[in-house]
Amino acid sequence: MKPPPFDYHAPATLDEAVRLRTELGPEASILAGGQSLIPLLNLRFARPSALIDLRRVRELVYVRAGQDGVAVGAMTSQRELERSVDAARLCPLLREAQRCVAHPVIRNRGTVGGTIAHADPAAELPAALRVLAGHVTVRGPRGERRIDADELFQFHFTTSLEPDEILTEVFFPALRPDAGSAYLELSRRHGDYPLAGAAAIAAGDHVRLCFAALGPTPVLVESDDPADWDAAIEPAGDIHASAGYRRELAAVLGGRALALARERATGGAA
Amino acid sequence: MSELSVVGTRRPKVDAVAKVTGRARYTDDLRAPRMLAAKLLRSSRTHARIVRLDVSHALALPGVHAVLTGADLPIAYGILPVSQDEHALALEKVRYAGEPVAAVAADDEETAERALALVEVEYEDLPAVMSIEQALAVGAAAVHEERPTNVHRAAALEFGDVDGGFEAADHVREDIFFVHGNTHVPLEEHATLAEWDGSKLTMHTSTQVPHYLQRALERVLELPTSRIRVIVPALGGGFGGKCDPFSHELTAAKLAIVTGRPVKIALTREEVFYAHRGRHPVLMRVRSGFARDGRITAMEFRCLLDGGAYGSYGAASMLYTGALQTTTYAIPAYRFEGLRAYTTKPPCGPKRGHGTPQPRFALECHLDKVAEELGLDPIELRRRNLVEPFSWTVNHLRITSCALEECIDRVVEASGFEEKRGRLPHGRGVGFAVSAYMSGAGLPIYANELPQSEVQIKVDRGGGVTVYSMATDIGQGSDSVLAYLTAEVLGLEPADVAVVSADTDLTPIDLGSYSSRVTFMAGNAAVEAAERMRALVLGAVAEQLGLPLDRLVLRGGRALDPGDPESGVPWVEAIRIAAASRGPLVTAGSYRPPDLAGPYKGAGVGPSPAYSFSAAVVEVDCDPETGEVRVEKVWVAHDVGRALNPLLVEGQIEGSVYMALGEALLENHAFRDGVHLGPSLLDYKTPTALDMPEVVSIVVESDDPEGPFGAKEVGQGVLLPVIPAVANAVHDALGVRVDEVPITADKVIRALRQGRVGPKRLPDFPFRDAVRVDPPAQWRAAP
Repeated sequence: MKPPPFDYHAPATLDEAVRLRTELGPEASILAGGQSLIPLLNLRFARPSALIDLRRVRELVYVRAGQDGVAVGAMTSQRELERSVDAARLCPLLREAQRCVAHPVIRNRGTVGGTIAHADPAAELPAALRVLAGHVTVRGPRGERRIDADELFQFHFTTSLEPDEILTEVFFPALRPDAGSAYLELSRRHGDYPLAGAAAIAAGDHVRLCFAALGPTPVLVESDDPADWDAAIEPAGDIHASAGYRRELAAVLGGRALALARERATGGAA
Repeated sequence: MSELSVVGTRRPKVDAVAKVTGRARYTDDLRAPRMLAAKLLRSSRTHARIVRLDVSHALALPGVHAVLTGADLPIAYGILPVSQDEHALALEKVRYAGEPVAAVAADDEETAERALALVEVEYEDLPAVMSIEQALAVGAAAVHEERPTNVHRAAALEFGDVDGGFEAADHVREDIFFVHGNTHVPLEEHATLAEWDGSKLTMHTSTQVPHYLQRALERVLELPTSRIRVIVPALGGGFGGKCDPFSHELTAAKLAIVTGRPVKIALTREEVFYAHRGRHPVLMRVRSGFARDGRITAMEFRCLLDGGAYGSYGAASMLYTGALQTTTYAIPAYRFEGLRAYTTKPPCGPKRGHGTPQPRFALECHLDKVAEELGLDPIELRRRNLVEPFSWTVNHLRITSCALEECIDRVVEASGFEEKRGRLPHGRGVGFAVSAYMSGAGLPIYANELPQSEVQIKVDRGGGVTVYSMATDIGQGSDSVLAYLTAEVLGLEPADVAVVSADTDLTPIDLGSYSSRVTFMAGNAAVEAAERMRALVLGAVAEQLGLPLDRLVLRGGRALDPGDPESGVPWVEAIRIAAASRGPLVTAGSYRPPDLAGPYKGAGVGPSPAYSFSAAVVEVDCDPETGEVRVEKVWVAHDVGRALNPLLVEGQIEGSVYMALGEALLENHAFRDGVHLGPSLLDYKTPTALDMPEVVSIVVESDDPEGPFGAKEVGQGVLLPVIPAVANAVHDALGVRVDEVPITADKVIRALRQGRVGPKRLPDFPFRDAVRVDPPAQWRAAP
């Protein structure tokens, strides 16, 4: 037996999707790449009344590179972003973080907008978005608005999108030319969820770190002092690692990511 | 043996193409006309009395055809005659979260599931008992109230003069270890399809033991076995997890009888975690005495097993935890104390290596520590204590062919162990361990003196050969092995041989695919049946052609005189000649192991007609800051007697290494508040293909005198040395000990701070004075 019963809609345009989102109410779910939602349905942890499948909304599939950064349509596959030469040039962190996301078959289906909207604090792209000080664009019945990464992630699997809004674009600002960046994580198996992840940007004396899997949201810290990191994170213990061990990982991975970012900033390998 | 044409050649399994192309039909692929779907209601409570159980609303739901509760299947059963403590559906109380309480048969699974939600159960909670310590604590809640304590089985045995051995020792060391439980994770979830025609029950089911299931059905349903047919379709892995009669099988059978319609139950992955029967958590203490030169003078092994809620194979599991230590080392005096406790968790049972990976982990880590203390090379310490081929152990086990020393030599050489040990950079290390395992349990599960395997062979007029055997191909390749052996004896290609297996109506007895018994036992029976067919055919041909019988052989599809390749007749002609003069071309063979059990209670566990031997080296790369342990490469040498198909032997070696690494580093059957914490493949971390290191498989052939063409087991033994070799490698890499499996990163970090992570003591238990058993007459201490 597979998922519980649900109604299914596959709109062809964003306008139609937004209309359905309003019409069907908060009991409906948006289906993007399905790499998280479908397992949740099959495990029956999620029981939406309806699915609004965005796979036909082709206007949401693009990677647009500009001088300021990379704008990515919400339905762009993670694999496409990973393989984008422009994105890798403007934000080298993205490719590094993407390669930690599960396996190529999952990244082929998983979308950039999906992983951001899903807001799993253990996911890689939300940490990358936050460390890069990116933002998203959302569309609802009241029109379009922009949400900064700092405001977007509220709690485990919770964003500041209104129930009638759809995430349409993710914007990753370009790394400053004098900055270096790095993403590192530790997982129990190849491609598995990380026990902890650390994204780092270093530019001169300024550093930004964002930790994955160490709190209810990606945890941003603008300090190179591990004591500050330790104060900021709120790791939970589970069957895979204790909270205490995750704290130790924060120090080790944060330190390594920062060192790597600094090395790259001063002309080391990108 | 230079003239073998099939045995020893590399070839795919006979069912390989069907499986990789999706043509193979597994139990859940089967559909029957008018089939109903059934689902089990499972307990949401860990340990509770069932105060009220009302199924009336479920029964009233349109589309529901029958609802069963414990009262409908009141007869207790269990795989072992000494542990008949299970019921198909809980009676009066539940003993683990996930235990089946009621069953619904309906038009489809959706309806059945909706009906389950309408079953009203009122529970009165009882204290959960979630560990060995809790089970043995004074005042612990009784898991089985008719018993005075939670001790399921206990044994204390002493072979030789143990106290004297310790007194004579120059050095005594004691260590304590713990192995967390884990589970099998076969790709195929258990499924069963039951059909009742008014007088006969037919079960298509994913079991490793059709014969034992037939017996359980006979008992619980009170039907004669002549009216029960068990058929095993293609099976997607078992590893010991499909060796018990299960609730869903007995329930589906009863529902089929009650409704008069076919009933299928297919377990979900979550339910497989509750069906379990996996590796026992075991707390162990090993104490050994050594002479200055490293010779063992005495050994004492105490172990406490966390059995879960029911007996299953537990009485045997407990004894296995003590039985095989002596099969690799000549231990002159040995004391074993073992206990299995009931807890309120899914029942543990046999998993690949049944009962022996835990003590092997303890023993091989213990020996490394001893070697370090004595200032001896760990391999040299083992060499000084190796068991001898064709000898007896102090606990009455007969060792026959044994190439353990060659396994050690070859694995040490291939891996460069001696050059690497203690010499790799900090964080990198190598570890070593050995082991042995049975080629089939010497005794059947229920006492009898009958053959344990029988095989029939029939030859048709076109020359096609059909082999009939109840041996169950669980993916290990037993159908292939029977085809190879028969083809070899009859001078044919395996493609000329059809195998009909695992059907209690069509095939003669085989006790099942457990204890690595099938190649040895069903294989010997097949060889005997094939040799009888060869004698029958050649006798007729010799008569007809006027050739001397002793000159004729079957080879390359002909009956001929090997001295004259042009002589003789093609196989098809030969069998026509034979059928004309001899009648039906049907032969049979059988195998029963020699009587090997020693003269003491518990001696039935451990004897085997032959043992396989393995040695392993594991190289690891550890991150001293994160504690991450990465296995870089594994070398295994395995004495398989003879590789009937080296490709399959290597497959079993690699599969065992894979499973061992999962157990060593990742897997844990974890609970919180009495509930399983990760009954899914998302949370239960079994390794992926990408986590596998390179494995160097070294096949060693000792040509066992009693095995079919000299073959012994390879399905389980290889798993055993890999786990302690990982632990020993971590020690070589970092200088610290994790005496607890799985060796997770956080434990490594803790060990780096404390020097060691692991249990510090065993809870007290007043074992009875050990039963003293004299060593066998054939036993002699090493000179």
